[in-house]
Amino acid sequence: MLPVMAQQSLDSSFRTTGTAVVAAFETQRQVLQTSSAVMLDGRKEIGYGVVISADGYVLTKASEITEVKNLSVTVDQTNYPTARVLLIDATWDVALLKIEASGLIPVVYAETSAIPQGSWVMANGATTRTNRRLLAGIVSAKIREITASGGAALGVTLSTKVKTLEIDEVSEKSGAHEAGLQKGDVVLSIDGKKLKTIEDIGEAIKDRKEGSIVKLTYRRNKEEKTVDVRLTARAEIFTEKMGPGGQMNRNDQMSGEFSNRRSGFPRVMQHDILGSRQVEGGPLLDIDGHCIGMNIARASRAENYAIPVEDLKEIAERMMKQAAGK
Amino acid sequence: MISLACRLATVMRTRLTCLLIALLPWSANAQDGRFYVNDKKAPDGRKDLEAIQKSLITVLPKARAATVCIEISEGSGSGVIVSADGLILTAAHVATGVRKKVTVILEDGTKLKAETLGVVADTDAAMIQITEKGSYPFVEIDRAESTRLGDWVFALGHSGGFDKERGSVVRLGRLVRMANSTFQSDCTLIGGDSGGPLFDLRGKLIGIHSRVGQQLQSNMHVPMREFIKSWDGLMKAEFIGEGPFAKKPEKGSGFLGLATETHKEGGLRVMKVGSKSPSEQAGIKEGDILLKLNDTVLAKREQLQDLLKEMAAGDEVKLELLRGGKPQTFTLNLGER
Repeated sequence: MLPVMAQQSLDSSFRTTGTAVVAAFETQRQVLQTSSAVMLDGRKEIGYGVVISADGYVLTKASEITEVKNLSVTVDQTNYPTARVLLIDATWDVALLKIEASGLIPVVYAETSAIPQGSWVMANGATTRTNRRLLAGIVSAKIREITASGGAALGVTLSTKVKTLEIDEVSEKSGAHEAGLQKGDVVLSIDGKKLKTIEDIGEAIKDRKEGSIVKLTYRRNKEEKTVDVRLTARAEIFTEKMGPGGQMNRNDQMSGEFSNRRSGFPRVMQHDILGSRQVEGGPLLDIDGHCIGMNIARASRAENYAIPVEDLKEIAERMMKQAAGK
Repeated sequence: MISLACRLATVMRTRLTCLLIALLPWSANAQDGRFYVNDKKAPDGRKDLEAIQKSLITVLPKARAATVCIEISEGSGSGVIVSADGLILTAAHVATGVRKKVTVILEDGTKLKAETLGVVADTDAAMIQITEKGSYPFVEIDRAESTRLGDWVFALGHSGGFDKERGSVVRLGRLVRMANSTFQSDCTLIGGDSGGPLFDLRGKLIGIHSRVGQQLQSNMHVPMREFIKSWDGLMKAEFIGEGPFAKKPEKGSGFLGLATETHKEGGLRVMKVGSKSPSEQAGIKEGDILLKLNDTVLAKREQLQDLLKEMAAGDEVKLELLRGGKPQTFTLNLGER
């Protein structure tokens, strides 16, 4: 029999993201309908979230929502106009939100993220006001750490006008800011090691990881003080629109929009769902409709990262406990 | 008559297929017979989805073991081993030319020396041979052209370069367009994947990644038939076709990296060997007396220059020379100016 030559292009509904293929995932779509949250800036979708409790606790990707003024959240068909950001975990780029809701259906966590490569996974696609859409893909690489592009940093700019290591600017999202360092402070030592030049600072922290703590001694108004400073991933301090060299590389150019923050995660699983940057923050489901992770970054057109379920559960429990203690 | 024969054959085939599925629900990976979900317009619920997943998970380890990263001076790409002695299929724009030295990295990080064989510049097909002896993991080529529009396929490749912690990246999709010299799938590709393999769900090699379009669904692959068509020429390291995927080196673009003077007793005396030049790498030393280049007797310095003018970068050169009065033969490839 000769192959049929007339039809040489597959109708879009039968493509991997097409309606006919997606229809096979209707039971999993129902889970997204009830247990994923839509993050809205006015009427614009900016991301998704994971519903983790019946009374309205939601996890989402922090860096996509922190600068949004009119944040509201839709779960299923209900819009919750007042979403409060309770806490942010800078290491994982996760925010804990609270909406005034009851009777929500939280996600059911999968037992493990260690499913074979090639296993189906599902995530939120674009949404309508009332209906969640689903996109499907597969687990496509090994679970691993994504080190911060550019490495770890204090988050300060030093003055070039004086010979001492005087701070000229403290980045708002940095560990230096959290530790209370200010413009005019003079950095003297890190972990007891005396510093003279900018290179000395680089040397002192070059093998340290983002998230680790250094003891920093500084002088302010002739008084010396020592504080703990959390080293911050450069990616957290500066947006990653540009690569480490300050320019988009060829792969970035062909990727379309990618996440502002897409590196510096302790552990991620990787999948190939063909989504846009706006689909991060929602749950990643396995074929049983269980939450196997949380989508955290679109790294390129071919690579998406999700926080694995073991880490997600730990983050959720820790943040809920912290929020209750506040 | 013809149409009747076709219809009969179809009926027979349909019956046979039904029978096979009934007997062996997981016949998806059988050598013959198509994977049954491929003959549906779309998967029809969980059973079909699980069949796709099961096939993929079953064939993936072998496909992954044969997928390699190719490092070449200009950057990196991917490729796939198709024989135990290390023959690799890749893209012409990864190989960039014939007889070039490249490094092949296996899944476990092992680095191997290799050399590019032929390229087909107008379809983006190319071959590479691992030059270190060994028995390498390899995959089978789909020679039967059994792939049809809409078939479920998967892509492997070292996206953005080799990363041992990550491994090669697998993507699932369907064949969304078929033309003579190109398959298009919705397996998303990115830089570094070029030259990597596209498989059907039986784990047979059906294409090599070539290029992408703006849309996520626009990912192009060179079908196996383009390799099979030019197989002999590719094996003989021929440069086939004209652009756009590889540029033929121009005459006079090659160099040896030697300075010589005419030797009174015959031949050319090597006065200087350029640092890191092809000659140095081949082991030519100062003081050697060059007698013949590719069987042409060398008598004058100008003669060597004239011979090189007619050759191009990558061309193989056989040099016969005298070292300490003893004859020796060296083989090397001209470098690129």
